[in-house]
Amino acid sequence: MKALRQHSTKRIVHGLTIIFILLVINLFSPLNSFSAETVKLKYLQSVYFDDKGGNLKQPEGVACNEKSLLIVGDTENDRLLRYHFQEKSLKGGGEIKIPQLSNPIRLQINSKGEIFALDGKKRRIIRLTPEGAFKGFVDAEGVPSPSTFVPRGFKIDGNNNIYLLDIFTARVLILNPEGKYQKQIPFPKDYGFFSDLLVDSKGSILLIDSVRAMVFSAPKDSNSFSPTTKSLREYLNFPTSITNDIRGTIYIVDENGGGIIILGQDGSFLGRQLSMGWNEGFLYYPSQLCVNEKGEVFIADRGNSRVQIFTLVK
Amino acid sequence: MKLRLKWLFLAILIMSLLIFSLSYAQNKFKLKPDAKGKLCLSCHDNFKEKLKNQFLHTPVKTGECSECHNPHTSSHGKLLDEDPNKICNKCHEGIVPKNFKSSHKVVMEGNCVKCHDPHASKNKFVLLKAGNELCFDCHKNIGNAVAKVKFKHNPVEKGCINCHDPHASAKGKHLLKNDLVVLCLSCHKTDRPNFLKQHMNYPVAKSDCSSCHDAHGSDKPGILFDNVHTPVANKVCTQCHEASSSPTPFKTKRAGYELCRGCHSSMLNDTFNKNRVHWPLVDKVGCLNCHQPHASPQKKLLMDDMKSLCGKCHIDTMEMQVKLAEKEKQEKAASKGNVIKGALTHNPIQEGNCEACHVPHASDSTFLLKQSKIVELCGTCHDWLKHTSHPMGEKVADSRNKNLRMDCLSCHRSHGTGNRHLIPFPTITDLCVQCHKQYKR
Repeated sequence: MKALRQHSTKRIVHGLTIIFILLVINLFSPLNSFSAETVKLKYLQSVYFDDKGGNLKQPEGVACNEKSLLIVGDTENDRLLRYHFQEKSLKGGGEIKIPQLSNPIRLQINSKGEIFALDGKKRRIIRLTPEGAFKGFVDAEGVPSPSTFVPRGFKIDGNNNIYLLDIFTARVLILNPEGKYQKQIPFPKDYGFFSDLLVDSKGSILLIDSVRAMVFSAPKDSNSFSPTTKSLREYLNFPTSITNDIRGTIYIVDENGGGIIILGQDGSFLGRQLSMGWNEGFLYYPSQLCVNEKGEVFIADRGNSRVQIFTLVK
Repeated sequence: MKLRLKWLFLAILIMSLLIFSLSYAQNKFKLKPDAKGKLCLSCHDNFKEKLKNQFLHTPVKTGECSECHNPHTSSHGKLLDEDPNKICNKCHEGIVPKNFKSSHKVVMEGNCVKCHDPHASKNKFVLLKAGNELCFDCHKNIGNAVAKVKFKHNPVEKGCINCHDPHASAKGKHLLKNDLVVLCLSCHKTDRPNFLKQHMNYPVAKSDCSSCHDAHGSDKPGILFDNVHTPVANKVCTQCHEASSSPTPFKTKRAGYELCRGCHSSMLNDTFNKNRVHWPLVDKVGCLNCHQPHASPQKKLLMDDMKSLCGKCHIDTMEMQVKLAEKEKQEKAASKGNVIKGALTHNPIQEGNCEACHVPHASDSTFLLKQSKIVELCGTCHDWLKHTSHPMGEKVADSRNKNLRMDCLSCHRSHGTGNRHLIPFPTITDLCVQCHKQYKR
C-alpha cells in the first residue's frame, strides 16, 4: 500500500515537473506564446469619415506605423487622410490632397514618417513629407533597360529601401531610400499575375500571385523567385495584397472572397479570418491591410467604403 | 527413383491444371465446339443481316459472343459481361498512350459506341459512319464551317484523321498526330520561294502556324483566320517586328502595350485617362494577354471566347459559374416541370458576355464597370422599377453601413451566390431582416 502511494506521489511530481518546464519554456519565448496558429482578428472599430464629417469613398490603401499613425488612401476621393489610433481611440482625419496625386491605391510609411502612395491612375509612386507635402516621385533613377516600369505594388523595408513590383518588365526593382536603382530580380517563369509583394525582416521578398493563388519568395541576396506555397485556391478566391506583422506572420487579403488568409513564416496555412458582408466586422472586396507593432490591424474595406480596425488576439 | 516419380507426377498435375484453366477461360460456358455464335443466332435471327456487313468486330467474326456477353445473367444492360464503359478496354487496352498530351473525351469516358458499332459495319474499323461525316456528327460547328469556307484545306477534305488521332495523342494537343509545326511541315516546304514570299521572308519554319492560319479552312486567302490584324493583311510585318534579315527578326520593336500604342494611340490614351486600368494591359505581355497579334477566329482579335478568356485569370468567378449552372440543371430536373422562382445564374456571365457590365480595358468605376451608378447599369437590362418598389439611389442610406447607399448590389451579387435571386442569403426573409431587424423571428 505504501509502495503504491509512493509510486503515485512520484508520478504526480513528474507530471508537475513537466508542466513547470513547459511553463518556463513558454515564459522565455514570448513569440511562441503569441504564435500565429492562434491569431484571430477581433473587431475594434470602423473609420467612416474624415475630420469634417466627409464620407470615405472606396478606400483602397492603408499604411500604419509604430507611432500610432494611420494613413488612409481615400481612393475615389483622390486624397489621403491622416489619423492617429492610440489606446483604442481614433483621432484626426485631416485631409492630404495634392494635385500630383489621384486614386491612391497602395500606401507605405518609411521610418522617417514620409508617406508613399501608389497612384492607380498614373501608375507612379509619389513621395510626401511626414506633413503631407509633395516631395517628388519615385522614378527609379538608373534603372537598367527597359527603363519603363509600371508598379503594381511596392513596399519599404526597415532601412527605407524601396521595393517595386514592376509588372511591365516582370521584375522586382530594389531602390535605395533616395529612389536610386540597386538591384532587380526577375519574376519566376510560371506565374499568373502578381498583385503585391512584401519584404520580411530577414530581407526575403514574397510575391502574391492572384491568378495561381500562390506565394513566391526570393531569400535575401537571391536573384530568383521560387514557389513558397502550393495553390491556396481551396482557402481563397482572388488574393490581391500581402503583408506581415513583426513576428513574421503573413496576411493575405482575399479580395473576391472578402477574407484574410493567415500563413506562417514558412508559408504554411494557419487559418482564414473574416468573411464577406456589409455589417461591421465583415469585409466587402477589401484591398490593402496593415499591421502595426501593437498588433492593431487596419483593413481598407473598399466595397464598404470604410477602414476597419481589428486587433490580433490569441 | 521414387522421388523422381513424385516430381514427375507433380509436374503433370500442374500442367493439367494449367491446360484446364486455359481451356476454361477460352470456353467458360463449356459450349459444344459448333455451338458458339451459331447457337446465339438460332434465337437472334435478325442479327444475321448485320453479319452481312463488310467489316466485323473480331469476336463477332469468330462467333465468340461470350467474349462480351454473358449468356446467362449480368448486372449490365444487354447481358454485357462488364461495365459498358470498360468492356472494350479488356482487349483494346493500349488504345490510349500512357503519356498522352491530349485525349478524346468519348474515349476517356469509355463511350466507344459513339463511333464504333460493336458488332459490324459497312465502314472500316466498324465505324458508325465513314470519314468526316462521323466526326461532324458531334463537331457540328467545324463541320458547318468546313462545308461553307471559300478556301479549303486539302487534308481536311480527305479526312480528319489525316491530322488527328481519334483516340489520343502522345505528341500533340487537340489530338494532333504530331506537334503542330512538325505536322504542317510534313506537307508545306518552308524553303520554297513561294512560301518564303508569302511569309515576307520571315523564317517561320518554327513558328506556330495556328497563330495566323485556320487549319480547317477559311474565307480568307491563305486560310488565314477570319479576323486578320491590318498589318498582317497588308503584309507589313515590320510595323511591329524587326526586319526579316535581322538576327532577331521576330523581336517586336517595343515591349508590351507600347508596341500597340503606335497605331492604337487614341484607344490607349482613352484607357489611360480612366481612373482604373485592367492591370494585365500594362504588364509585360500587355494587349497580347487577351488579343492575338496576327489573326483570330474571334472578333476584335480576341484569343478565345470571352468566357474562356476572362476565366483564364478570374478562375474563381468562372468556376463558380460552372457550379451554379450544374446546380440550376439539377434543381430544374428535380422540379419536374414546376416553375422555380428566381434565377440562380446571371445570363450575361453564363453566356460569356462579360462586356455587358464590364469594360475590359479601363473604367472610372470599381470592378471596371461600364457605369458608375449600379442602378443605371443594371437598368440597362432590368427595368427594376417595374418589379421592385424598394427605395434605392443616392438618397437612400444602407442601414448596415453609414457610407453605403442602396443599390441593386445591396441585395444581389451579379455573379451569383448559390441562392435564388442571386441573393447572399438562403431565403428572401434572411436577406430582408438584415436591415429590417424588427421582423426578425
